[in-house]
Formats: sequence, C-alpha cells, structure tokens
Amino acid sequence: MFFKQRASEKLGDELLQGNMRKAKGKFVDGRAKAVAEFGVWEEVRAHAAKVRDRALANLDAYLVEFEANATRRGAVVHWAETAEEACAIVAGIARDNGVRKAAKSKSMVSEEVNLNEALEAAGVEVIETDLGEYILQLAHEPPSHIVAPAVHKSKEQVAELFVKAHGKPRLTEIPAMTREAREALRGHFLSADMGISGSNFVIAETGTTLTVTNEGNADMVTTLPRIHVVITGIEKVIGTLEDFATLIRLLPRSAIGQTVTNYLTLTTGPKMPDEADGPEQMHIVLVDAGRTKLLGGPMQEMLRCIRCGACMNHCPVYQNVGGHAYGWVYPGPMGSILTPVYVGLENAGDLPNAATFCGECAVACPVKIPLPDLMRKLREQQFDRKLRPWPERMAIAAWGFAATRPALYAFLSRVGARVAAWMGGSDGLIHRLPGLDGWTKGRDMPAPQGRTFRELYALRQGNRR
Amino acid sequence: MAARRGILARIRKAQGRDGEEPTAAELAAVREAIARHEVGPQPPFAHAPDRLAQFRKECDRLGTTHATVSSLAEVPAEVARYLAAGALAPAVAGWGEFAGLDWAGAGIGYRNRPADANDATGLTGCFCAIAETGTLLLLSSPAAPKLNALLPETHVCVVRAARILDTMEEAFALMRSEAGEPPRATFFVSGPSRTADIEQTIVIGAHGPYRVHAVIVP
Amino acid sequence: MKVGLFVTCLVDLSRPGIGFAALKLLEGAGCEVVVPATQTCCGQPGYNSGGREVAKALARKVLAEFRDCDYVVAPSGSCSGQMKVATVHDLFKGEPEQADFERLAARWYELSQFLVEVLKVERVPGRFAGTVTYHDSCSGLRELGVKMQPRYLLGMAGARIAEMEGAERCCGFGGTFSIKLGDISTRMCENKCESIRAAGADAVVGGDLGCLLNIEGRLRRTGDTRTKVLHFAQVIAGEG
Repeated sequence: MFFKQRASEKLGDELLQGNMRKAKGKFVDGRAKAVAEFGVWEEVRAHAAKVRDRALANLDAYLVEFEANATRRGAVVHWAETAEEACAIVAGIARDNGVRKAAKSKSMVSEEVNLNEALEAAGVEVIETDLGEYILQLAHEPPSHIVAPAVHKSKEQVAELFVKAHGKPRLTEIPAMTREAREALRGHFLSADMGISGSNFVIAETGTTLTVTNEGNADMVTTLPRIHVVITGIEKVIGTLEDFATLIRLLPRSAIGQTVTNYLTLTTGPKMPDEADGPEQMHIVLVDAGRTKLLGGPMQEMLRCIRCGACMNHCPVYQNVGGHAYGWVYPGPMGSILTPVYVGLENAGDLPNAATFCGECAVACPVKIPLPDLMRKLREQQFDRKLRPWPERMAIAAWGFAATRPALYAFLSRVGARVAAWMGGSDGLIHRLPGLDGWTKGRDMPAPQGRTFRELYALRQGNRR
Repeated sequence: MAARRGILARIRKAQGRDGEEPTAAELAAVREAIARHEVGPQPPFAHAPDRLAQFRKECDRLGTTHATVSSLAEVPAEVARYLAAGALAPAVAGWGEFAGLDWAGAGIGYRNRPADANDATGLTGCFCAIAETGTLLLLSSPAAPKLNALLPETHVCVVRAARILDTMEEAFALMRSEAGEPPRATFFVSGPSRTADIEQTIVIGAHGPYRVHAVIVP
Repeated sequence: MKVGLFVTCLVDLSRPGIGFAALKLLEGAGCEVVVPATQTCCGQPGYNSGGREVAKALARKVLAEFRDCDYVVAPSGSCSGQMKVATVHDLFKGEPEQADFERLAARWYELSQFLVEVLKVERVPGRFAGTVTYHDSCSGLRELGVKMQPRYLLGMAGARIAEMEGAERCCGFGGTFSIKLGDISTRMCENKCESIRAAGADAVVGGDLGCLLNIEGRLRRTGDTRTKVLHFAQVIAGEG
C-alpha cells in the first residue's frame, strides 16, 4: 500500500486526528521561541552545515580516524554494509556473551535495520526504555515520529496498554503513568546484560559516541549493563568536541524548543579497571545500509541530517497525516528523501510527491538541507525512469508540448477557457471535473470567465490603435 | 573486515577518489583539521557579564534548584536544610571527595560509595559547570561514579563558583588541559530528568532524578 | 521605463481581471508596459513534476520574450520564484546561460515588491471599505520575502487587515499536488479556510492565483458564498 492510500486512511482516522490536534503547534511554537531568543541562529546554522559537510567530504578518513581512537580507548568497532549484517553483528555479540536481556535507548538506526526482531529471534529479550518507544513496544507499533515516537497516541490509549502490561489499576494522569513506567523499567536496567543505544554523532578526535536525552534512560543503558552496544550510521561522524558543541546548540532547540536536553552523555570506551560503574565491553556498529548511495552527488546534503524532527514538525502534510502514513521508519520531509533512497525509488512511489514545496522544512532545518530541492531531484529521477503513472506522464508531456508552442497554446487556452466557463454555469463553479477529481472531490473549481487575458489584451490594443 | 573494506571503497568511489582506503595524506589533513579545534559562533548570552547570574537563570529554566554557601564546610548544613525542606530522608550516597565534611554534625548519614537503586539521594561534585545552559559537567573516574547522579531520586551537586565557565567549548578546553582526553563518561546534567512522550505533556522525573540541587561554594 | 508584464498562465486562463489590474497599476505609475503575446508559462509545473528539460525550455522562452525590458513584473510569487531562484540556483547553475538568467532575475519582480520597492508608490486607485485577511503564499514569502509589501498596499486602499492564525501556512495547493494528493490537499485547504473563517474578514486576499482558486473552491464547496477571494492587485487597482 502506498503513501496516498495510507494518508487518506489517516485523514479519516478520527482518533488519530484528535491526537494530532493535541500535539499541533507545541513543537513549532517551542522552536520559534528558542530560535528568537538565540540571537545568532543563522550564523550557527551555517557553521553547523559547514562542520557536517567537512566530515562528509572526507567521510572515509573521518571514519578511520574515529575507529582508531575508539579502538585505542578499548571499544570494538564493527562495520555493517547492510541491515542484515548489522543485526547479525549485534546478535553475535549477544550470543558470544550469553546475553539474555537487552535494554535499549531510542535508536532510529535500530528501527531501520529491525534490530529488535533479529535479537528476539536469537533468544534475547529486548526492552525499549525510552517512554515513547516502550509504549510502542507494548502496542506492537513502529514510531510515528523520530523524536516523539508515540505522538500519535492519546493518554487513554497509553493507560489501556499499561493496564494490560503492568496488571495494575487504570491510571488517568500522565505523571502517574510516567512513574509506573519508571518503576517497571528500573528493574530491567539493573538486570539487563546488554545496553543498546544509538549515537547522535560520533567524534573522530576522541573515538567518542554520545546520547542526547531528557529521560536519562540512555545513561542507564550505557552505564549499568555489562555490555554496551552502540549502533549508528556512518554519516554521523564529526571532527571535534567543538563541532559537537555547535551542533548541540541547534539540536534540542530545533527538536523541542529546549536550550539543552537534560542529559548529554559522551561515552568513550568501556570502564576502566578500577571504576565502580560502566560496561566491561563497548561495541560500536557503524552501519551503511544505503547511506553511501547518497554520497558524491546532489543528494549528499541529506547526510548532514541530525535527526531533530523539525522538518516533520513544520510539514503541513505530516501535521495532517502523521508518521505512519509514510510507511517506513523515517517520516516527513527527511523520510520522503531517505526512504526512496534506502528502499528504492520504485518501492516508495508517492513519497517524493508528498509535498507542496511550501519550503517550511528548508527554513526550519538546522543544518540547511534543501529538502524540497532534494525531493524534486527524486521527482526528476522518477520522471526520467518513467516511474509515475502514465496519465500523469502524458499530461505533463502534452502540457510541455503545448506550452512551448505559443500559437497552439493560445488556441487551446481559448477553447479551454470557453468550455470551462460553460461548465461553471451560473455560479461560476465547476463541481466535478473528470480526471481532476483529486481536486473536485473536496473543492469546487472556480471556473474561468470565458476569455483569456491575452485575447482581451489584444482586443484592447486593437481598439487603441 | 569485508564490510569495512566495502564501505570505505564505496565512499571513495562515490566521491571520485582512487584506492580503497584513505591515504596517509588525507588522514593527516583530517588530523590537522581536528587539531585546529575550531570554535563556532556562540550566542551573545553565552558570555554574560554576570556569569553566575546567567548560570542561575538557566538552572531556574531547567528546574535545577540552587543555593550559595560561603564555604565548603557549610555544604552539609545546606544539604540538611534542602532535604528537610523537601521532606526527604537525611541520608546521602556521596563521592569520597566530600566524605571528610562534618555530615554527622548536620544530622546526615553519609555513605561514601557509588549509589545503588535503594539510595534516595546522591551527592556528587562536578568537573565544572556551564553558565550558557545551566549545566553540570561530571567526568567519570573511580573517585567520581556517575551512578550517584543517576539512580537516586534526588541529586545534589557541589559546584565551585570558580569552575563555572561560559560555554561547553571552554569546558572542553579545560578538560583537555587537565585530563587530556574525555574519560569513559562525560556527563552533562541540565536539570532533573523529564519526558514529554505522552501527549507532549512535560513530566519531571522520567528515569533519572526528580530533583537536582546545585550547592555553589566559593 | 519599459516594464514587461508576465501575466502567468493561470491569470491568462482563469482570471484576466488580475492581469488588467496589474496593467492599470503599472501604467498608472507611469510605466511603459509591454505584454509579449507569445508568453505561456514559466515552466514550474514541469519543474516540480520532474520534467527538468521542459522547464528549461520554457525558462529560455521567457528569457527571450522579455530580453529588452528594463523590468519584468509578475502578479505571482510562485512564478517569480521560478524565474528568480530556480533558474539561477538550479536549472542553469554552472551552465553558460546562468549569467543571462542572473540578469533576468535581477530585473524580475513580484508585483507588490515592484510597486513598493521600485516604484515606491504612495497611493493606489482602489478603495476597499472593509476588512481583509491576507494569505501569504509559500514561494513569495519564503523564496522572495514578500510579506509586508502587499499589506502596506492594501492599507493604502483603506482595507483593514485582520490577520488570520497561521497566515504563513501552506493552503495545500502545491500545483499538481492538489490533484495528485487531493485528499491531503483538501485537508490542508480546510485548515486554511478554518483560519479564514475565524478571522471574520470580508475578503481573503493573496498574491498567487493558484492558492486563491484553491481557497475559493473550498470555501464555496463548504457553503461560504459571502467571503470574497481576491488578488491584492484587484483590491488596490479598484477592480475587485
């Protein structure tokens, strides 16, 4: 099923629409306020784009430098070309170390490669510990947002899930639900053999991985279990701690309007011999799974993405249909670009077209990714590879043929204006237009008035002479 | 290692560079770029004329409470006051750095050890603090376990006023000069843990502490 | 001052009055206005559908048609964005013709920007005794910075402006998007219409006919026959 049908279903889902209405504006208003009081947003944004570009331009060297430093600090660096390889590596680490339970903090790369399924198949119990991800694990649903994964759920739906999972009386207040989840998850942190986290960036200079959270779950996951596995994309590498300082000024502000998240944790290697806490082993899995396809061409800018979610928060399409309509782990404008590239343009049909090119995402993006331009590039590929339905291709071809031939165009537009004016009748509104029912299903088409401007202008000029 | 080779070769091919691995010259160029430690633009408020006021303001914004005492010896009394005001038990699990203070005199049981799941309050120091964001920076070490700042419901942190810096970049520079490299855990704490994952409603106290209290000493 | 009027394909076909309003404003301000008879379209529908070559062909055609004008003015932020931004920054980037399009882009103005920033008009012929709410079209706003200019001109015509919530939010038109993804487009338009109704103005005014047809179509379908839907040129030229 493709985006168009799924989106139409989501538009008719009253419960979802109600939940989306509650969330509406919170992210956008929060970001706007944070940006306004920041003072040098554009300067930092430009620097951030530069910092990301610099690493991407020499991605192999930055990765090798990162690997050398992480290894020096005692971490084991693994490389995965595909999703399957990434899963096999993590499952292998679990098997080799007799891991029975893994506690996870939020990782979109793990969603992307389907890590939970692979670990469960290997006999490992996987516990999601980010509150939103935990809720979705109970609901057996994928996230609908990369920062706020359960944004599509109401508190009543969450209460229902908790009753089933925790076997306690139904709660009505959000703080009490949060407390109940905290208590349910605390034991898992303490008993897990493996902690799995993502890494928002990896720092070449120091061989450091890092997590950015408000809940503190990532800190539990990276500190308590005896094995820590980081799974992240190869594009996340940056040069220095200073580069991180720049990017972290933008990330929480763009994501949720917060000046800083409650926790930022840079993790460099496993615990030292005489330390009281920290994992005995640290593994870092660097995943390609399609990323190199974006390199070296016009799409490379997409790899700057820092996964803040601002593009989807600001997207009027996302705001109305929610994340699940996009069909894969990355929704909104960034997903409309990543999904076709990662899963194949032929498998992601409508996604590059799921935008009006209103430009809000490009304005909001903290690393200046020209998201509409990249979507247009994908449309160009669809056009060149003849992947769009033939009536659409025919219409564009016919329009192009006519528009480049002024005499023909003038004739057709004169006929068209007259016919459409007649169709508009006395109220000047066309209520149904065959072939354009995408428009007329929910809207009238204000009819042309019978004559084209150029006809009337020629008349006026004739009268003047 | 086939995957490593494949990925690096693919990167190079996509970007029009020969060979399967970065060359020595390319790696040297990257190290050189890194060694510059270029600092990006910073917001004006990051260099506030009154740094302590800026730190306090940001603490307030994030829900970190704070108190200022006139000497390290007064920390136990302030902690006792804080715990009593919140009706919290007069016991803390703390770092060895502060074990020599007169906790008994303030009526507080001091457990000089890493916190465990049963401790209600953890006490830590910090490597430095950052005024721009009201952040406490803890560097892990055998003497500075991270768990004391993470597992208990209340985290009290002793901050030396002279160690309050303007920005994260300054904190990194200080870390390089004093510790060389980042330790295993470089832990930035900015307020109590929170979540907004249910209906985007902010709730304080997700997995980490419900309360963070900074005690500023000269 | 010789000013070429790029009418836009939608105005030509559907609302010639907007073209004549623009003409009246420009001539009234003392411009010598030429309207090349061969003009058709700026090429944006093709461009946004992935048809890069046809978009380039049409851009070249527009360039040739307006070659000897001091300025080119269009009553549309969208077409102006196509000719000022897309040609220079994408379609002809790095090609020999880029310089030609840079020169065209420098002479090309969206109508309200031309009236305010180049002609510096201080009075307009139209009078509008009522309140209007202004919809900011995406391309004009975010590509060109059209925001205060039309409001300033509407103020000159005596219109009171009642800002709607989310004036800068897309109305859901998006060219072929409105047909390809009609359900989402309609919902976005309904959101816009809710804001318009809440603003309670006598007219909703904008600077791009695509948005206006979309909004008018939804208002009428939902039973609102009262709220006028107008291009700002019509209001300030007194042709509304």
